Amino acid sequence: MNGPQVYFEIPVLKGLPITESMRNQWFVMLLILCLCVFLTHNLQKIPTGKQALAEKAVVMLNGLVDSTMGEGCRHYAPFVAAIMLSSLFGSLISVLGLRPTTADLNTTLGWALIVCFLIHYSNIKFHGLKAYLKGYLEPIFIMAPLNILSEIATPVSMSFRHFGNMAGGLVISTLLLSALAAFSNAILGFLPVPLLQIGIPGILSLYFDLFTACMQAFIFSMLTMAYVGNARS
Amino acid sequence: MGEAIYQSFVTFNWWGLCVTICNLLITFLIVRKFLFGPINKMLEARENEVRELYATAEADRTAAETMKRDYSASIANAKEEAAQITANATKRAAARSEEILADASRQASDLMRKAEESIELEKKKTLNEIKDEIAGLSVMIASKVVEKEIDEADHKRMIEDFISKVG
Repeated sequence: MNGPQVYFEIPVLKGLPITESMRNQWFVMLLILCLCVFLTHNLQKIPTGKQALAEKAVVMLNGLVDSTMGEGCRHYAPFVAAIMLSSLFGSLISVLGLRPTTADLNTTLGWALIVCFLIHYSNIKFHGLKAYLKGYLEPIFIMAPLNILSEIATPVSMSFRHFGNMAGGLVISTLLLSALAAFSNAILGFLPVPLLQIGIPGILSLYFDLFTACMQAFIFSMLTMAYVGNARS
Repeated sequence: MGEAIYQSFVTFNWWGLCVTICNLLITFLIVRKFLFGPINKMLEARENEVRELYATAEADRTAAETMKRDYSASIANAKEEAAQITANATKRAAARSEEILADASRQASDLMRKAEESIELEKKKTLNEIKDEIAGLSVMIASKVVEKEIDEADHKRMIEDFISKVG
């Protein structure tokens, strides 16, 4: 099982690779940009069709942010939406035959690190540096290493959960595909194509690509809201 | 192109992290600028418009209510005025009819009086004429009877005496 393909290396430092994941991330960004521009193109006072859909989505996300993070966090809504869309489309591009960006640890860990930064930033901003540092000595000072460990565990668990789910799906799909190819070759070897590969992986893909993609996007953004909202209270 | 190079399945490198972080930040800006910005602005504009609409409607309703109250008051006034006018007219008409009746009866009594007066006058005149006639006749008869001329003036006086005694 291979990781993302390296297309070429920028010859600075020790060589900076441009990988499949990066290319797919840019593709996803382009997709999101097109979607946003398409949805908000030609807005009317009385919404119709796509505008009603976009407004519904924005209102729902605003409501979700309000209810999860508390009042006064509206400016986090676009960030949560960005994570949700990046994760969702990043996973769903596997349907197009592209390698999902979320099946790369660097992608999910990058997102989790930003969330981690936001958590600590909110914590310091709302409680002050002293209270923030004091929080590590709760309930007694001996707990400090464990508290630090739990803080480190947050982004790690977030990123590995997402990465694991998508990569696991990818591995199982690939294994199944090659197994079906071998099986097809063994019993229907006289045919020029591996016939059993048609259809059966699609059923599994419903779960591993569609369901897991939606689920993980939702979980990742919900956790983002919950952690950052918790740090503010 | 040579052999395709792959990274290992579970890999970690700072460069990949940096690219991802930049990508997410750019995506955040895209979503904020192109999705949330316009839609939130539109929602706010609509909310303001609806609020304005409600305020206008409320103001209109209040104005209509005031107008209605004014109208009801003026209609009530008008009714009262109409009743008063009718009452006045009736009163005036009654007064006028009484006046006319009184006038008529007065005129009638005047006429009666005049008629009586003229009848009286006529009667007197006729009586005098008759008196004269009778006096003339008497003189004539007497002269015929006596067959002699007597002083007409004396006779006339005598006859008049006679008549006044008789009549």
